[in-house]
Amino acid sequence: MTGYIQGRNVGLTFRPPNRAPVRALGGFDIEVEEGEFLSIVGPSGCGKSTFLSILLGLIHPDSGEVLMHGRRISGPGSDRAMVFQEFGLLPWRTVQHNIELGLELKKVPKEKRRAAAARLVSLVGLTGFEAHYPHELSGGMKQRVGLARALATDPEVLLMDEPFAALDAQTRDLMQVELLRIWREAKKTVLFVTHQIDEAIYLSDRVMVMSKRPGRAKRIFAIKLPRPREYEMRVTPEFNDLKLEIWNTLKDEIAA
Amino acid sequence: MAEETTVRQSFAARYRNFLLGALAVVLFFAAWQAVFLWVPFNPLFITKPSLIAAGYVDLIESGELFHDLAVSSVPFFLGLGAAVIIGVPLGILMGWRPRVGYALDPLMTIFYASPLVALAPLLVIFFGVGVWGKSIIVFTLSVFPFIFNAYAGVHAVDRLLINVVRSLGGGEWALYRKVIFPSVLPYIVAASRVAVGRALIAVLVGEFFAASEGIGFAISRFGDIFAMDRMFGCILTVMVIAVILTEGIRWAERAAFPWRVGR
Amino acid sequence: MAETQTLQTPVVAARDRAEESDAPARSLWRRMEPWAFGLGSIVVLLLVWQFLPSFVPMKAGTKLFFTVPSHIAGTLWRMFATGSVWAPLGVSATAFAIGLGLAIAAGLPLGILLGRSTVLNAMFDPFITAFNATPRLVFLPLLMLWFGIGLWSKVAIVFLGALFPLLINTYEGVRNSDKLLINVVRSFGANEWDIARLVVLPNSLPFIIVGLRLAIGRAILGVVVAEFFGAQDGLGVIMVRAASGFRVDVVFAGLIIFAGLSLLMTGLVQLLEKRMSRWRPDHANAG
Repeated sequence: MTGYIQGRNVGLTFRPPNRAPVRALGGFDIEVEEGEFLSIVGPSGCGKSTFLSILLGLIHPDSGEVLMHGRRISGPGSDRAMVFQEFGLLPWRTVQHNIELGLELKKVPKEKRRAAAARLVSLVGLTGFEAHYPHELSGGMKQRVGLARALATDPEVLLMDEPFAALDAQTRDLMQVELLRIWREAKKTVLFVTHQIDEAIYLSDRVMVMSKRPGRAKRIFAIKLPRPREYEMRVTPEFNDLKLEIWNTLKDEIAA
Repeated sequence: MAEETTVRQSFAARYRNFLLGALAVVLFFAAWQAVFLWVPFNPLFITKPSLIAAGYVDLIESGELFHDLAVSSVPFFLGLGAAVIIGVPLGILMGWRPRVGYALDPLMTIFYASPLVALAPLLVIFFGVGVWGKSIIVFTLSVFPFIFNAYAGVHAVDRLLINVVRSLGGGEWALYRKVIFPSVLPYIVAASRVAVGRALIAVLVGEFFAASEGIGFAISRFGDIFAMDRMFGCILTVMVIAVILTEGIRWAERAAFPWRVGR
Repeated sequence: MAETQTLQTPVVAARDRAEESDAPARSLWRRMEPWAFGLGSIVVLLLVWQFLPSFVPMKAGTKLFFTVPSHIAGTLWRMFATGSVWAPLGVSATAFAIGLGLAIAAGLPLGILLGRSTVLNAMFDPFITAFNATPRLVFLPLLMLWFGIGLWSKVAIVFLGALFPLLINTYEGVRNSDKLLINVVRSFGANEWDIARLVVLPNSLPFIIVGLRLAIGRAILGVVVAEFFGAQDGLGVIMVRAASGFRVDVVFAGLIIFAGLSLLMTGLVQLLEKRMSRWRPDHANAG
């Protein structure tokens, strides 16, 4: 069986100097289909962000393996790109140059970079802000830049690590709507890590609930709600039933 | 598997940085000693650790080293002491009385920014290279860090604390003693670290000029007679003293004002 | 590692406060007051100095050592008018420029290297601490033996003086680099060189500029002192000769030239800093 992205028995233990080791992931299995929107929810420290970093190729698991197209992931690659929770914009670069970062590292010529950045600026709705520096933007706008930067290298998979957690509630709702629109247009596979059950249900085809540390997949929910999804969907009984069910699965894992 | 690994780390892991540093120092001296097995050794140009050690024993046994250090330390401490006694009250006054601050800030900034060491030849001519001449050079170079840090320290005093003491019926003197001085103290200790470096420069400049004793004179004279081993011995001694002074003050800062750590 | 810490606090803190309190609502006099007092004190000092000999009787011996501001100004004017200042100043400036240039060329890469490698850092730390604590002046007699009297012993002392502030501040800047940003560029396939170029260097620039400012001060100090003891030409040599010939006015003129150079260089660095810090959040206020 060859899935699109497969994680088998992934385990990772952090060994910080002068402190006790932390086993972030243990026996973690995952299967992602091409083009789907998969959210991962779980208690704090369950290793969900760690898994994204492994998938991105920034860190390597101690045990098990993560495959994409049947090949083991050994490092960063332009088929995957991450949107970071704290934006991670280079403060000394303008919006345009931040978006061009990945292309620059791929040695794409200047004119092509310009063109790609211009297209993405309008896709994420930042027209007119190309020459602004990050400190001149609001949180929502910063994350639009983060999203555009990730999309610039035209990756197959978009990894999103609690991308809206640093935003206020209204901006967050707005960004979710925007993300669905962009996802429809750009046709990417998305792995979305979040704390918010609402957000996960509203955005996803499937929601995975993880156990507490060391993190494993506890249960996967298929979200059969029709698309395109409207904001009103969040107050329907189906939505609330799902939310309750996921909450009941999750709450045993949360150590208060 | 991971849980079983012991939390307590080995000695080597815990003191890794210290051990690496010590190893590097040992390697450095060993390499210095060994390099002359291959490179021709010219005693008029360079020396090696074994000769430095032998020369050092001489310096200590003859009492020369201690004499020179003692001679140099007098102007060092006199000048620094005077810098504290004059610099700190002046800085506090500048911070506490706005008009004094306005009047003296530009003037002091000009002095602080000037390479005052350029005045050394003049001071030497005025005051000679005896204890007083050297003390005055030390004072001239080291007073400004105290003035500026005391000035900045007063600005950093919490106005709320002043009101607290006033409301409890404290007078001007109580204010100085209970609020201002404790707030300014860390700044002054920080200043002393800078000032110590400048004071060492001052002593050396004074003694390079025309002195007949002192550690700076010793270094310069051993250079003149190509006594490389003893020259290096004296230089290393100054390095060790400088490290002890600055790191000692740093240690004292951490011990005495733990709330300032990380600033 | 001292340099960055000493800088944060003293002078800057005091001045920032002074600027803060300049509220526009104040009356004209309240706003002019600091200027009036500041300029006033300088004028008063100069006047007292100028007319001191008219009020205080001096012995002939003391008079020999005494000069007044007008005399210093005249000497300074003549030095520039006759052009006699340029040759020695050129000699001093050459040693300054070569020494500082070498210190930048060595200090920046070394600082980045030590900041990125904990092992190298631990191994170099004792040497850096020792050299940084020690007044580099102590090596002057040795450097004079090694490099002879003249340009290269001056260059060496300038280099030693300027190297450590640059190295230590670069190191601190590198250590301070945002881990997240490093991960971001790595996720786009950046190698160690790309990381240095795209994140570490821009992030360290403010630190490096502080180091550069310190290094300039140290370099000028190095030139002055080296010329006092180990040179045959240069502005410092002129000053020592003037001092031993009781030409006090020339000594002060030299001091003023060195101070002016120091202010000029620091001003240039500040200009550079302003140009490069457009991306910083505090830029608008700082300008």
